[in-house]
Amino acid sequence: MGLIARLAARADIPVFPFVGAGGRAGARALGLLDGVRVVDHPRAATLLVVTGRPTRALLPPLLALHDQLPAPRATVWWQHGTSGADLLAAVGPVVVSPSGDGASLRRVFSDLLSGARPSEPAALPDIETAWRGVGPYGQGGTGMTGGNPYGRPLPARAPDPDGLELDQLQLRVGPAFPPLPAGLVLHLGVQGDVLRTVAVGANPFTCWPGDEVLGPFDAQPFHDALEDPAPVAAIELARARHHLHWVAGVLGLHGLGARGRAVAGLAERLDVGSGPATGALARRLLRSRSLRSTMEGIAVLSGGDARSVGGPVARAAGAAMDARADDAGYEGLGFEPVVRQTGDAWARFGQRLLEADQAVALAQRCGDRVRRPGPPLEGPRGPLAPGGAGRMTSAWLADVLPGLLADAEWGDAMTAVVSLDLDLEEVAAADEMAATSR
Amino acid sequence: MSGDTLADVAFWVFGVGSVVAAWLVFRTDSMVRAAYWLLASFAGVGLIMVLLEARFLGLVLILMMAGEMTIMAVFMVMFMMNPAGLNPMTMVHQHRTAKIAGVVSFVGLAYVGLVAEFPDRPVDGGEGATAALGRELLGDSMLLFETAGVTLLATMIGAIAISSKKGRYGDGELGSAPPPLEPDAPGPGPAPTPPEVAPAEGELLASSEAKAAGDGDHADHVERAEARP
Amino acid sequence: MSWSSPLPAVGLVGFVLVVGSYAVAVVDRALGRVAAGTGAGVVRTVAGPARDGALLVLTRRSTTQRPDVEAWVLAPAIVAAMAGVAVAAVPLAEGVAVADVDDGIVLIGAAFALVMVGVYLHGWSANSPMPLLGGYRFVALALSYEMPLALVLIAAALPAESLSVGAIVASQHDLWNVVRQPLGLPLFLIVGTGLAWWGPLNMADGRDLAGGTAVEASGPARLAWEVARRSVVVAVAVVAAAVFLGGWQGPLLPGWLWMAVKTLVVIIVITGAGHRVARVRLEHFVVVAWALLIPLSLVDVFVSGALAL
Repeated sequence: MGLIARLAARADIPVFPFVGAGGRAGARALGLLDGVRVVDHPRAATLLVVTGRPTRALLPPLLALHDQLPAPRATVWWQHGTSGADLLAAVGPVVVSPSGDGASLRRVFSDLLSGARPSEPAALPDIETAWRGVGPYGQGGTGMTGGNPYGRPLPARAPDPDGLELDQLQLRVGPAFPPLPAGLVLHLGVQGDVLRTVAVGANPFTCWPGDEVLGPFDAQPFHDALEDPAPVAAIELARARHHLHWVAGVLGLHGLGARGRAVAGLAERLDVGSGPATGALARRLLRSRSLRSTMEGIAVLSGGDARSVGGPVARAAGAAMDARADDAGYEGLGFEPVVRQTGDAWARFGQRLLEADQAVALAQRCGDRVRRPGPPLEGPRGPLAPGGAGRMTSAWLADVLPGLLADAEWGDAMTAVVSLDLDLEEVAAADEMAATSR
Repeated sequence: MSGDTLADVAFWVFGVGSVVAAWLVFRTDSMVRAAYWLLASFAGVGLIMVLLEARFLGLVLILMMAGEMTIMAVFMVMFMMNPAGLNPMTMVHQHRTAKIAGVVSFVGLAYVGLVAEFPDRPVDGGEGATAALGRELLGDSMLLFETAGVTLLATMIGAIAISSKKGRYGDGELGSAPPPLEPDAPGPGPAPTPPEVAPAEGELLASSEAKAAGDGDHADHVERAEARP
Repeated sequence: MSWSSPLPAVGLVGFVLVVGSYAVAVVDRALGRVAAGTGAGVVRTVAGPARDGALLVLTRRSTTQRPDVEAWVLAPAIVAAMAGVAVAAVPLAEGVAVADVDDGIVLIGAAFALVMVGVYLHGWSANSPMPLLGGYRFVALALSYEMPLALVLIAAALPAESLSVGAIVASQHDLWNVVRQPLGLPLFLIVGTGLAWWGPLNMADGRDLAGGTAVEASGPARLAWEVARRSVVVAVAVVAAAVFLGGWQGPLLPGWLWMAVKTLVVIIVITGAGHRVARVRLEHFVVVAWALLIPLSLVDVFVSGALAL
């Protein structure tokens, strides 16, 4: 290897995570690996790490993303479960390794740079979109502003709240857009950077007949607690861990990636003695004026919409609904639901921070208590029904998101979506349950 | 190469560059390029002013034009119907009037340039052109420049007042449409939003060929069955 | 002494920018590790940017469909060149200045204004939505910086009675401007952080746009853009050190060493703010820039003028 290649082989590996079904835990572990840097866009990455199981609906975006990685590139599949290999065969010679294996990443990376492993060829053919018109750039079409240059329709004019007629660009973001939850597809009409029309795309985790059933979920300990007895301390620590990982994601979105990584590290090391650490974290973050000004007043979700979905979203809007209040496993622990009033993104942020702190305190107080299986069980996003479905369905998303994001500026829109803590797999499970119960 | 020759070469480079850049403003199809060719032309003029020892004026010209040409690029893309030259619509109009006006101004300026007697007082660089400029602005020409300055300030304040959140006809968040003519028609409010985009059912599994052209996952334009008008 | 031969001048400015950008990268990495709580191995922190740069050199440059190729190539060049112009106007040691012209402050203002042009071009030329949004969001905010920048620099020029940076440095021989004009340095740092689209004012390349203007850049083009961005931080730090912190003046140590130390302190402040302050809301900060920063810089000019009279 030349000198430059030897120098480059010791660098932090830039990876772009692609989250399949059951892959969120793997993507989180990826962010915590030493010597690995998770980047915002495939063109900044050398390795594409697929976690979980890619579904059929996720394959076309995966192929497109794969081809965007610049050479030298390789794909690593952190396999979880047994199926999906046939889909990944379309991507190319994928390296399969067990989930969480950081050494395999380093091995593939140095092999790529030394030339021992050739860069993966493009998965899709490079076809120039056929478009011919009059003129040297092929411009021309019907009418003065007609045509679809290079296959893309020119933005049409649409009215603006100020009475102007401005161009509206149609964009599709997702399912692997880094600020958004994995699997969320949004069809946006933007004027400048302001969202005018928002529509939620089809959920790529929806199960088709013949697909493997959904899972393992991000909140798997809670789903297991519905079937089997589980110690209350373990459930509460899982809740705190979940909320802290979400907080780390929010911090990363707002440019505080290093602090987010510190919070994620705290989440991984969490145990019953972490009370002081989570308390100090909650106090420090809630005092931060810059975070507060970024999230206050955005995406106010209150009333019926918040109550219908339960969980921290409802409690941040003033509704004191918590299944733990009726749960026999929490009796005598002095549990009172944390409630905040305003229902905006800042309230949800504080809500989850304080609930994480409360969960660690509960875990310490309850000792060895074991909970009986079955409902009512409060998951991290709301009450869980048997079968593992929460209350957030695609119908609720399609109903609430357009209103929440209407006329929002881009940064505020990203903050708003992240503040809902969506898990598209749980949404797919909830859809399935709603469909079968009809 | 002596200083004088260097100055001469620099003058010709900046001068010819300014003229060529100005010509390219109207030859290019892309509006952003047009704005920045104009910036390049202004920068050439500013650098010639630096060569003429009017360094302060030249640098201030470049400073102001950088911001202004960026604003012009933004506005041209915003309001023009064909900002990238991808359509058959031509962006230059009134050819005859423009040609006549161009020829007339060229003849006029050339006449002035050839016939007038330009002053021949070389400035010695040590005098401090900026200080001289300052003395002129706040000395003999104070009334002129202070009036201009106050007028500009009043214009800026007026523009900000009109475009502020508390607009002329009510809160800016509600849209600034003027009140209706009929007494009982609904008042000003946000314009109706265009019909929602409903994604097709099989869209996510649709043509991977569309992705082959290098579109990213982050922004992929929704395929339409028919071309937009 | 002004340098009239081009080669040493370009070499000095290039050296300052390259070493400075590397220092910014190392400081950013070190402060990031401290904020993340992961162990800060010295070798990995110091060699990290070189290793990342080597990887970028080996990666292939990608292209999009019908980009504006000339503008895409020019954008990092414009940004880095303008950072170099700003550094050239500053005396880096006693009597060592590439171009200590009589209107140095105006030259610096013009250079920073052209940085804005470079970022807009980088966002627009890739023919891709996320870079376009990044470029536009940057311009929406950057236009608000010009007035506080000009006013704060002029206020610093008043005690020196000259627009030349060398004279401003010399006027601080008994009292630094950061003491004489307490509003000046914080305002300049805020504006400078915005001009370098760093940290809380990162409208151009933020994570909410999945990388913004740098989305479609890979390989050497990405390396050039990252170096250009850090060069702007270096230029802001060098100008701040000269205009507000007394430049090369100081006891015991040689002039260039003082300059380096002060520049490093400002770099640490800017990158530290990037790790502690969340990214601002765009419209909210535009209001802050016009309604708060401009009046404060006007107060700065008036007080400075009153003291100078």
